[in-house]
Amino acid sequence: MDNVYALYKCRVLRTYELTDDVRLFLFRFENPEIAESWTFVPGQFVQLSIAGMGEVPISICSSPMRRGFFELCIKKAGRVTSKIFELKPGDIVGVRGPYGNGFPVDKFEGNDLLLIAAGIGMAPLRSVFTYALDNRWKFGNITVINSARFGKKLLFKKELEAMRDVAEAENIRIIQTVTRDPDWPGWVGRAQEHIRHANTKPEKSYVCVCGPPQIYTDVFNKLIEHGYDPRKIYVTLERRMKCGVGKCGHCIAGSSTFLKYICIDGPVFGYYDIISTPGLI
Amino acid sequence: MRYVKLTEEKLYDFLEKLKEYGKLYAPVKISDKFYDRKEIENVEDIAFEYVRTIMPAKKFFVPPKEKMFDIDIENGEYKENVENVEPFVLFGMHACEIVALRILDAIYMDEFADIYYASRRKAGIIIGLSCLPDEHCFCNLRRTDFVDIGFDLFLHELPDGYLIRVGSPKGHKIVDENPSLFTQVTQKDIDAFREFEEKRQKMFRCYGSFDNIRYLLELTMNDEFWDEEADKCLGCGNCTMTCPTCRCYDVQDIPSIDGKEAIRIRFWDSCQFRSHGLVAGGHNFRPTKKDRFLNRYVCKNSYFYPLGTSYCVGCGNCTYFCPAGIDFLGNLLKVRSVGEAEVKNG
Repeated sequence: MDNVYALYKCRVLRTYELTDDVRLFLFRFENPEIAESWTFVPGQFVQLSIAGMGEVPISICSSPMRRGFFELCIKKAGRVTSKIFELKPGDIVGVRGPYGNGFPVDKFEGNDLLLIAAGIGMAPLRSVFTYALDNRWKFGNITVINSARFGKKLLFKKELEAMRDVAEAENIRIIQTVTRDPDWPGWVGRAQEHIRHANTKPEKSYVCVCGPPQIYTDVFNKLIEHGYDPRKIYVTLERRMKCGVGKCGHCIAGSSTFLKYICIDGPVFGYYDIISTPGLI
Repeated sequence: MRYVKLTEEKLYDFLEKLKEYGKLYAPVKISDKFYDRKEIENVEDIAFEYVRTIMPAKKFFVPPKEKMFDIDIENGEYKENVENVEPFVLFGMHACEIVALRILDAIYMDEFADIYYASRRKAGIIIGLSCLPDEHCFCNLRRTDFVDIGFDLFLHELPDGYLIRVGSPKGHKIVDENPSLFTQVTQKDIDAFREFEEKRQKMFRCYGSFDNIRYLLELTMNDEFWDEEADKCLGCGNCTMTCPTCRCYDVQDIPSIDGKEAIRIRFWDSCQFRSHGLVAGGHNFRPTKKDRFLNRYVCKNSYFYPLGTSYCVGCGNCTYFCPAGIDFLGNLLKVRSVGEAEVKNG
C-alpha cells in the first residue's frame, strides 16, 4: 500500500515578489515521471512541506496546461510560511496532492466567466483565469475583478495590467479596484460594486468568488441583484488542513445536516451549499 | 451466520487459547470506578462486567501519538515509519465500539487509505462481548446496540456460558482449530439468548427514534439553553479523547537539537481546543467556547453516509468522563423536547 502522506520532491525555480508579504514561487518536480503525469484542476490545493517545520495547504495558482511546473502564491502569515519565504531558487521542498474537488471548469465551458477576488483570494482564481486563457476558445466573455485595500496589496497587479489592452480585444475585462488608497489611479470601491461593469451576460455566466469570509454575503446579494444565477456561483474556502485527505478533522465544517470535509468535499462549494450550511463561511 | 456455544467451564481455556493468536488485550478493573484495556497475563483478571473503559479501543489503531516520518532536514528526505504490527486480540468489545471501529475504518481506509491505520487494523482480532447498559448508554437510539459485521467472534452471555456468533474468516479459523472448546447451540441456549436480549432492551434510559435529531439540533442552535450548557464546559477535551469515533489529529515536526534531523509526529487533537479552528493569519473559525461546544454536538450528530448511522454511537463516554457533568444525551433529549417520563414509554 502506498503512503498517502508521502511527498514528491520539488525544486524551487523562481521566486517573485507580488506584494510586500506575498510571494509567487515556481516549482518543478524532480522526478520526470511525476512531472509528466502530475496534473490538477484549478481550485485544488497541495500540501507543501518544509522538512523540520511542517506542512501547509496552499492553493495552486497556475494553469494545469503547463505540465511539470506549478506556481504557488504564498502569504507570509505564520511559522511555516515565514520559513517558505527563505526559499531560494534551487532549494528542495516536499509536495503532495493535488487535493480537493477544484472548480467544475468543464461545466463552465461555453459560458461567460466572472471571477471576483478580494485580497489573497486572487491566488486560486488566477488558476481558473490562466486556465481559461489557455483554452480561450472554450469560454465566452471573461471578467476578472481583483480587489484589495491598497494598490500595493493587489496580487498579480502588473501581470493583469500588462495584458489589459490585448485583453479588451479578446473580450476579457480586467477590473483592479482598491478601497482605501487615495493615490490609486484606477478603479475604486469594493469588488461587488464593479459587478455592473463586467462584460459577462448574467444569464449565461458562471461566477467564482474568493476572499475573506466577510465579503461573501455582500457579493452574493449583488450578484443575484444583477441577475446572476445562484446555481452558477461558486466559492472556494480555506481551513488549516493537516492531512488534506479527510482524516485529521481540522477542516470539518458545517451543520449537523451538512457536515463537510473542506479538503475532500471542497474547497469549492456552490452558493446553495453555502447558504444551507451555517459555519461554512 | 455460524453459531457455536462456549460453556462456562471452557471460558478460561478459550481465553488462554486466544493468546496464541496474538497479544491479548482485555478490560481489567484498575480502580473502584474505572476499567481499562490492558495486556492480559492472567486471564482471571479480565473484567466481564465492565460497561466502559477509560480509553476507547481507538487507541489500538490510532495511538495517542505516533511517528509518521523520520526527516533528514539537510537533504529533504522523508523516511516513512510504518511499523510491522504483531497480531493482537481485543477481547470484550461491545457492540457500540465495534460500530465505532467500522466508522474509523470507513474514514481511514475507504478513500486515501491510511497505511498506519491499515497496518494495525489488519493485525487486530476483534472478539465482541454482550453488555448491559448503564444510565448513560443510548446505543439503542443510535441503532448500534446490536452489531452485524466488524467482529471476528461475538460472545453473547448465557446463564451457563456464551453463545458465539462467528463473523469473519479469522473467527471461523479460531473455531475450526479448537473443536474441543465449543459445543452445538441448543434450544435452551436460544431461549436464554432471546431472554437476555429482551431484558437488555428494557434497560435503556430512553426509547424512540433519534433520526430527526440532526434537524432539530440545527433548528435549535440559537436556543438560550445552549449558552448555559456551554458555560459549564471547561474546554478540557475529555469528551473527544474518550469518544470512540473522535479522531481529529494534529501534525508537528520536532527537530533534533542540532537541527539536522526531525521527526514528523501526529497526535490526538480536540475540536474543544481553541487552536483547532485557527487558520494562518490568526482568523479562528470557532473563536468562542460556545462555537466549540456546539461543534461537537453538530459533528457527532451528523449523518455518516458510508454506514447510514451518525458519527455518535451512543456509548455515553463523553457524559461519563465529563468533569463538569454535562449530560450529552440529556441535552439531545432537550432538543428533542420530550420529558423523561414520556420517553420511557417510547
